[in-house]
Amino acid sequence: MAPPAQAHRSPSPSQPSGKGEVSDLKSQLRQLAGSRAPGIDDSKRELFKKVISYMTIGIDVSAVFGEMVMCSATSDIVLKKMCYLYVGNYAKVNPDLALLTINFLQRDCKDEDPMIRGLALRSLCSLRVANLVEYLVGPLGLGLKDNNSYVRTVAVIGVLKLYHISAPTCIDADFPPTLKHLMLNDPDPQVVANCLSALQEIWSLEASTSEEASREREALISKPVIYYLLNRIKEFSEWAQCLVLELVAKYVPLDSNEIFDIMNLLEDRLQHANGAVVLSTIKVFLHLTLSMTDVHQQVYERIKAPLLTLVSSGSPEQSYAVLSHLHILVMRAPFIFASDYKHFYCQYNEPSYVKKLKLEMLTAVANESNTYEIVTELCEYAANVDIPIARESIRAVGKIALQQYDVNAIVDRLLQFLEMEKDYVTAEALVLVKDLLRKYPQWSHDCIAVVGSISSQNVQEPKAKAALIWMLGEYSQDMQDAPYILESLTENWEEEPSAEVRLHLLTAVMKCFFKRPPETQKVLGAALAAGLADFHQDVHDRALFYHRLLQYNVSVAERVVNPPKQAVSVFADTQSSEIKDRIFDEFNSLSVVYQKPSYMFTDKDYRGPFEFSDELGNLSIAAESADNVVPAQGVEANDKDLLLSTSEKEEIRGATFNVSGYSAPLYDSSAASVQSELAIISSTSAGSAPSSSLAIDDLLGLGLSAAPAPEPASVPPSLKLNSKAILDPGTFQQKWRQLPISLSQVYLPFLTLILF
Amino acid sequence: MPVAASAIYFLNLRGDVLINRLYRDDVGGNMVDAFRTHIMQTKELGTCPVRQIGGCSFFYMRISNVYIVIVVSSNANVACAFKFVVEAVALFKSYFGGAFDEDAIRNNFVLIYELLDEIMDFGYPQNLSPEILKLYITQEGVRSPFSSKPTDRPVPNATLQVTGAVGWRREGLVYKKNEVFLDIVESVNLLMSSKGSVLRCDVTGKILMKCFLSGMPDLKLGLNDKIGLEKESQLKSRPTKSGKTIELDDVTFHQCVNLTRFNSEKTVSFVPPDGEFELMKYRITEGVNLPFRVLPTIKELGRTRMEVNVKIKSVFGAKMFALGVVIKIPVPKQTAKTSFQVTSGRAKYNASIDCLVWKIRKFPGQTEPTMSAEVELISTMAEKKSWTRPPIQMEFQVPMFTASGLRVRFLKVWEKSGYNTVEWVRYITKAGSYEISSTDGKVLMFGDGILVQQLVSALGSRQTLHNKAIPICKAV
Repeated sequence: MAPPAQAHRSPSPSQPSGKGEVSDLKSQLRQLAGSRAPGIDDSKRELFKKVISYMTIGIDVSAVFGEMVMCSATSDIVLKKMCYLYVGNYAKVNPDLALLTINFLQRDCKDEDPMIRGLALRSLCSLRVANLVEYLVGPLGLGLKDNNSYVRTVAVIGVLKLYHISAPTCIDADFPPTLKHLMLNDPDPQVVANCLSALQEIWSLEASTSEEASREREALISKPVIYYLLNRIKEFSEWAQCLVLELVAKYVPLDSNEIFDIMNLLEDRLQHANGAVVLSTIKVFLHLTLSMTDVHQQVYERIKAPLLTLVSSGSPEQSYAVLSHLHILVMRAPFIFASDYKHFYCQYNEPSYVKKLKLEMLTAVANESNTYEIVTELCEYAANVDIPIARESIRAVGKIALQQYDVNAIVDRLLQFLEMEKDYVTAEALVLVKDLLRKYPQWSHDCIAVVGSISSQNVQEPKAKAALIWMLGEYSQDMQDAPYILESLTENWEEEPSAEVRLHLLTAVMKCFFKRPPETQKVLGAALAAGLADFHQDVHDRALFYHRLLQYNVSVAERVVNPPKQAVSVFADTQSSEIKDRIFDEFNSLSVVYQKPSYMFTDKDYRGPFEFSDELGNLSIAAESADNVVPAQGVEANDKDLLLSTSEKEEIRGATFNVSGYSAPLYDSSAASVQSELAIISSTSAGSAPSSSLAIDDLLGLGLSAAPAPEPASVPPSLKLNSKAILDPGTFQQKWRQLPISLSQVYLPFLTLILF
Repeated sequence: MPVAASAIYFLNLRGDVLINRLYRDDVGGNMVDAFRTHIMQTKELGTCPVRQIGGCSFFYMRISNVYIVIVVSSNANVACAFKFVVEAVALFKSYFGGAFDEDAIRNNFVLIYELLDEIMDFGYPQNLSPEILKLYITQEGVRSPFSSKPTDRPVPNATLQVTGAVGWRREGLVYKKNEVFLDIVESVNLLMSSKGSVLRCDVTGKILMKCFLSGMPDLKLGLNDKIGLEKESQLKSRPTKSGKTIELDDVTFHQCVNLTRFNSEKTVSFVPPDGEFELMKYRITEGVNLPFRVLPTIKELGRTRMEVNVKIKSVFGAKMFALGVVIKIPVPKQTAKTSFQVTSGRAKYNASIDCLVWKIRKFPGQTEPTMSAEVELISTMAEKKSWTRPPIQMEFQVPMFTASGLRVRFLKVWEKSGYNTVEWVRYITKAGSYEISSTDGKVLMFGDGILVQQLVSALGSRQTLHNKAIPICKAV
């Protein structure tokens, strides 16, 4: 992990250091400042270019501020622009010097050339220095009334900039009502669009404190405003159209006539070349018809063609953005897209992020009529050079198998995967066969024959190995060699790195014992002994548990370990429908790409390392939806994986201690959070969300310390850790907020490690 | 919720900032460091173009040797952001005259700063139309057209156009010779089994236009597409002329096209921008005319020898010809020696891509050249598992041929001064991803348990449109 970058923008080593050059520039600029020789502009321009290029590569050229301002008296517009750019960049760090520029900027705001007026006004508003706001109000007021539309567009955004520098000044100057007036009356569409952006921003920020502002915000989505904007929609630029359509999507029409009017008006937008406009239109259509089931379905039919076109045109990044939206629609109504499955076939030169989405969609649209072809296609991807995609496609085959009743053909193919002799293919297929057997025990006979022939030596991945062992235990009566395979696995107990596999091995040996006692007895003894000696707490505990259970009563033990099982009918859905609806509400935004509602990644409380905070009830949801986004981690993401091996824990701890100053709270909270997670999982009433401190108490009291409890002995005394990490979520939050943001970024990977 | 961009960065492949523009203060200045450490220097690069780091989202795109990164702090509109980048790059290209790469940025950074200022204000996209921006941001940038000081060439009514209603065309254009050029460019995507059956196939086409017309002309374009023809025959109440009609799956148009009129009358009518632009895009999946059929037979003779025979049939008219035909036949990595016999063109073994490459510069229609090659392999112990055989790929361009069969029926230009115009049309079809499976994976999948799973995989075969002047045959 690289340390957080210290330099603001560090110049690369090959660049000049800048010191000497800057002073050179300074003297050259000074010479030019007074000169009135012809052609002076050209030499100025060269110098300005140099200054700007230094600025770009990160050399601090703020030292020549004064000289730059002196040289700015020119009629050359390019020179002016460079000067404005320079001033805008350094004014914030040199507020005193910025005052120097006010004068010439204000003068330029009154230039006869509207271009210069606009530029000057924009630069003036971009200074972002709080104590200069008083100089902004006048020019802005004039700018809003300027007879040139270019100046007005600049002035409108200027008002927004002023609002962000000093909200009271902006409100006191009565700018928002002026903007509203302009929005409804200005002939220039770009002015209108900018007014709309500015007002939306200002009023939603004001709405929390002022009732009037929230009323005004509501008024933006009132019938007159919406109709006014819709009637002018063709005048707007493509970007402004997105903005307007976004607003229209929020509008609630009174009756169905209105809905159809709006849809008829916007129908042709679906043919627009700009994908963003098309998506915004689709959003409007979908939201307007939410309550009209049949029309809603027609909308899906209507938007299918434009969406598919958008996906196949443009850069991969653009098609990814569209695909994400198509993805959410396919997930909502797979049957509508069932006949278009060929569009979701992957092309080989597509980037893997596109392929991954397509695979998910193929899985979703599979039905009785197209399963055969889809699965055939997926099987071809299984040999893909891109291993993650190959894995995904095998998983997709498995998912389809779990959805369908007619699994006959699919099972055959999964079994063929097992024989492909590629480690990762075998591994994925094993996991799938296990899931399949849990749902369709009737297939056990076919599967077991093939699984039995797999040498456990060839399976290395923990997940796959665990799956294989599970099957060995579950079907030991059908597999001739089961006890002996288990025996050889038990002999290699010491070499097995994964605790998950060892846990499964214990259970499998137990199951096998009840089915074939004479053959297994010896193995069981060896496994229990090895388990008891295991350094991993969970394995140790489980071995101890089995041991005592067997001592107590063998038939009870059998009932515990080997109860009659019911086939699993439905595997738990990873995302609640409430969250899915929320994402759908935020159609055409980042939420769809991240596949989580915006509050999860924009609210400070939810994003990144904070996901475990506040409401414990949300914790699992947040973690799971994150899994969907990062499936690479998702493979590993399983509650069992929270039981990290001790060595990994040590690493985290060691790393955490390296941070001076903040290490103590960080350590506290991270360790405790792991515990609280475990507590939730271990406690039977996970859904009812017990208060976290209570859960931690339980955990510590029971001594079920799967995660290393913060033992004082292991802690350097200088750090003064709590011996018992009992912190309520609020306190965690507090401590987290104290951390500088860069720290939390750096530690994000560690924490995700803990969380997932 | 504001959806404005907070900053835009241009980075080179090493991660050095070429140019950056911070539009808002809500992201820190060290955002680019976060991008470097968390995306560029990790394997994450290329896994997903949208990434979240800390509280900010990064959208990034690689264009030649430059990364363009947009940083946002809120729930932004992704499609809009990427489209913005694409449009901005198109704008820069039109200013630089072609290339957009690191050198072009370094040489034009002042200009880019100027443009970045105009195309986006405080994170909201403004005007990205090259026609309008070129009015007041000139490469020389000597004088603003609004300047009150006398200029050589008065620009009439320019203020209106800066933000004006007909955003894509300025008034007062005069050309001595009024000309319109239409290019219909189609790319065929195909996946064919080795037996010659089409597994999937589609055509994406676009109509590119170059207009050199005076005044404010109104144009009307007629194609041989089904809907348009039906509508027309209804209007004129006479049966459609015989001939092939094309069913377009979907069409999108440049913003200049009057969409209302397209929907009601099914005619493409528009006031074109000056110069070059993309008039429309379409997609077709039914009734595609494939220009080539490829019939490969690949035999593995023992462990160390392979025999490759490929026959290619050109199925377009005998008078036409394809240009720049390249066929890439993948062979195993351990290929040692190759020998070829070709009836046309030249073939060689390219070890860096593990392919036999057969090139035919000029490929007439209705011919069937063949290539047979013998490949000797080094026998290795490690390679006992069967080789996953990627598909054969093909590149080509066929001028005056459209895989969809689309034809321009008429192009009418109407302008109030009533001048004469010359219209030029040309067609070209090129290969998108044109792939032929070298072994039929399916047969083996359901075969008698031999699990030689064959991979159908390919590398991109993106290519640029053949720029050489192609004879313009048909003046409408």
